Amino acid sequence: MADQGRNGEKCGPRAIILARLLRLLCEEGILEPSRKSPVVRFQHPDKLQEILSLEPEAQGVHMNEILHLCHDIVKYSVQTCHPHFKNQLYGGIDPYGLAGAWLAEALNTNIHTYEVAPVFVLVECAVLRHVLNIAGFPNGDGIFAPGGSMSNMYGMVLARYKAVPDSKMKGLSGLPPLVAFTSEDGHYSVKKAAHWLGIGTENVVAVKTDSHGRMMPSRLTCCIQQAIAEGKKPFFVSATAGTTVLGAFDPLEQIADICHQYGLWLHVDACWGGTLMLSKKHCHCLKGLERADSVAWNPHKMLGAPLQCALFLTKEKGLMHHCNSASASYLFQQDKFYDVSFDTGDKSVQCGRKVDAFKLWLMWKAHGSNGFESLINNAMDASRYFKEAIQVQPGFRLVLDEFECTNVCFWFIPPSLRGQEENDEWWNKIHTVAPKIKERLILSGTLMIGYQPLPHKGLRNFFRFVTSCHPPPTYADMDHVWQEIERLGADLW
Amino acid sequence: MPASSGIITLTQSLENLNGKHGISGSYEDMTAGVNVAVPSLSPSPGYVTEKKSTRSVAWFASLPDRQRHSQFLKEAVDLMLDKAVFDAASRTNRVVEWRSPEELKKLIDLDLPADRVSHDRLLQLLKDIIQYSVKTGHPYFVNQLFSSVDPYGLVGQWLGDALNPSVYTYEVSPVFTLMEETVLCEMRRIVGFPEGRGDGIFCPGGSIANGYAISCARYNFVPDVKKRGLHGLPRLVLFTSEDAHYSIKKMASLLGLGSDNVYLIHCNSKGKMDVQHLEQEIQRALEEGAAPFMVSATAGTTVLGAFDPIPKIADICSKYKMWLHVDAAWGGGALVSKKHKHLLEGIEKADSVTWNPHKLLTAPQQCSTFLLRHEGVLSACHSASAQYLFQKDKFYDTQYDTGDKHIQCGRRADVLKFWFMWKAKGTVGLEEHIDTVFDNAAYFTKQIKKREGFRMVLQEPECTNVCFWYIPPSLRGHEDQSDFSERLHKVAPRIKERMIKEGSMMVTYQPLRDQPNFFRLVLQNSGLDWADMDYFVQEFERLGSDL
Repeated sequence: MADQGRNGEKCGPRAIILARLLRLLCEEGILEPSRKSPVVRFQHPDKLQEILSLEPEAQGVHMNEILHLCHDIVKYSVQTCHPHFKNQLYGGIDPYGLAGAWLAEALNTNIHTYEVAPVFVLVECAVLRHVLNIAGFPNGDGIFAPGGSMSNMYGMVLARYKAVPDSKMKGLSGLPPLVAFTSEDGHYSVKKAAHWLGIGTENVVAVKTDSHGRMMPSRLTCCIQQAIAEGKKPFFVSATAGTTVLGAFDPLEQIADICHQYGLWLHVDACWGGTLMLSKKHCHCLKGLERADSVAWNPHKMLGAPLQCALFLTKEKGLMHHCNSASASYLFQQDKFYDVSFDTGDKSVQCGRKVDAFKLWLMWKAHGSNGFESLINNAMDASRYFKEAIQVQPGFRLVLDEFECTNVCFWFIPPSLRGQEENDEWWNKIHTVAPKIKERLILSGTLMIGYQPLPHKGLRNFFRFVTSCHPPPTYADMDHVWQEIERLGADLW
Repeated sequence: MPASSGIITLTQSLENLNGKHGISGSYEDMTAGVNVAVPSLSPSPGYVTEKKSTRSVAWFASLPDRQRHSQFLKEAVDLMLDKAVFDAASRTNRVVEWRSPEELKKLIDLDLPADRVSHDRLLQLLKDIIQYSVKTGHPYFVNQLFSSVDPYGLVGQWLGDALNPSVYTYEVSPVFTLMEETVLCEMRRIVGFPEGRGDGIFCPGGSIANGYAISCARYNFVPDVKKRGLHGLPRLVLFTSEDAHYSIKKMASLLGLGSDNVYLIHCNSKGKMDVQHLEQEIQRALEEGAAPFMVSATAGTTVLGAFDPIPKIADICSKYKMWLHVDAAWGGGALVSKKHKHLLEGIEKADSVTWNPHKLLTAPQQCSTFLLRHEGVLSACHSASAQYLFQKDKFYDTQYDTGDKHIQCGRRADVLKFWFMWKAKGTVGLEEHIDTVFDNAAYFTKQIKKREGFRMVLQEPECTNVCFWYIPPSLRGHEDQSDFSERLHKVAPRIKERMIKEGSMMVTYQPLRDQPNFFRLVLQNSGLDWADMDYFVQEFERLGSDL
């Protein structure tokens, strides 16, 4: 390795590593995990630390050792592309999306100016234009952000700027408290954003939801009036289209009416449920979306773009730029020889930014809108099948009678606890069932599924099952889920 | 030439791979067992269209299928290696094949279709995209504070994508959770925090890392801010130099402090923060009734590559009980070199540090770290304890669920590419890399100082930024004329236009304070040598001599 530390074109012989990696990924089935292979080979942190040789060393290691390291990393990582990974709102990836990610990385592009990213700036514009039209913001603007939490933050920043334009320069000190509203089932990122933006988590009002987890418009009105009565300034409502746990869609039309009445910014957190807007059959869930001022949607969730692929859309063109620009003269020189309106980076709060648009663009080219639609309809269909399947199984109890998104939430009641009086003691036991089954699932590596309580609804730990487009769920996969839970929970307490 | 020999080897090995390994196995082999294990398999009408008894994957499915996708993926990877990795880094090829936005829109079919396009068409689209993209891995791309495509970094990046992890819980990212802690600890050790203790995170870019610094400093100053916000507080003021990165102002706006409350401190003639002025401005803020809470020093400014005097700034911070952040996004890489780490003397006194391995150390985009000497602040400041993700009744040690100290929820495993490079090169290799790029910068500086028509902005650049004016023959000897500066201001944009249209190199320019436009050549690629430096000098002369 005489040329150690060198890169660029002199790396020819060493770049064989790239081909070897591809071979490894094929051999290990990373891109197409077998249903027979484990989802995870769990090791506790201290043990895993011993197995993996993580410490950087003074001398570089040999190529074979490098491949060995890759192998270990693959082996002990969770196979998120596995059909039985049902743990999060993301999972398997689209092969075209992966090809797109790899290309963007091989080119190592940073999408802040047309100068350094001519193709990708146009790709981002094309994707945004297309999605803006679907969302109903034909004259809008948007950006790809590093995750849905950041997209939600973008929504809140624009709303703040719209409510108090001076805040960009002067800050919030001395102003009456600004108040944001989201439902008690809304994502925690709204609170995080309120903290980060200097608004304070106490000034995020959690609006009550109905039994299905949807924001209650009448309660929203009460909360707004109360904030006004306290001398505070309401400015922002974040409605949720597809809540994290129950998959509920807030009634956007009614919320939009209220926002209009009080002059509040309406943001829709459609990170999870937004994918349904691509399906004619299911887009009714997002009825009223076009009345929002801004929307967050993550194609890296249900649609299967590689992480991260998160869009933020807003109705008013130019506002993002006004709100976020800093006009750095070393990067956004105004005396360039081309149309500098294509230097879109200054509307971002990041400086350098990855080309996340390209993954989605390549997937879209490869599948077409029709392909996306079939994929979504299949995921929804599989979810309905799962719900009906467990409805008739003894020991499974649904948290809701109907679900709007692909989420299906349920308790598993082990045989020993069936048919008993359901008092506090009984529920305390049920509360421990999901964590225990989860432990067994992970240790056996046969399935990964999430669980959580919903304390504000008085609900103890229950499982949350979700389907996404990829790998396309089959009915057999659905049966595998409840059968594994039943198998590993049969002897509990 | 070396590039093409590389391609041949690579293609051959891919051929072997095709014959010997997995790709030849059939999809049915793999899934047959499932059909046996779950006899009740009922095909979903939504996607099974071709056969009833076995699983076949519909044309639109996101599931990679050997028959359908292996050839495509292989060809796509071959194409990327050939065109986007090797050809892109060959000196004989252009850095960019320039087209204006309007032309480019016509050259690539960007619109999104209702119906899919064929694999052949997709491969053609990939070719087009590569053709018209800027080759940031090209030796003559010295335009930004990032460049190079490190092969090991790229492997780490691709592997990360293929595994598609999100680093928030040990449960879903066991390997990467541990890897992050290992790398961050080593980086803190290099920064000089005692025994590498403290805290840290990988975040999406240096701007966000600087945002974290402001957020932590603010929380440390008034913990109540998390709940109550800034409304009832006095005006919080932070200080940074006039040459500091614009993200400090951007983040101050974002975080609700207001960009006016970033007090900009004068720089001396070398671009370093003027410490006396800093103290005066702190006094001014106090007299105004505002609350000074933080100084962001810069180790390697964006344009001039200057290093602020950290020890003196640290003294002032300790005197006024202010948080000291060091934005070493750019210059941090010098810490791995025994020869150059003196530039960051005093950084171990900082409360927090931004350090982007994707800059001087050439990890692929994005790879940014935020490092703290304190434990606990980050998570106390940012946690929201979401019950659905950070359950406390998990069966393993949940202190490894590190995601709640972030403002992101899902987050990429940016650590992998850097860790992988580090393994492959060793700390020694990283050091040689840094020493090489600094040596090239020194050589380039020496060369242009000797040449007529080049004038240095700083006589002795500290980092690998070399800032200079190129004065065309027609302007030489007219330095005393009143419109000289105005005419010089127009030179750099003209040369830049020419170099981009020819694609012969990419070097950026900018004005600074009252100085007219000048070039900033900036080096991170250790694959360059002195001959390349000579090439740059000659290119400026060739492109600018007739202006």
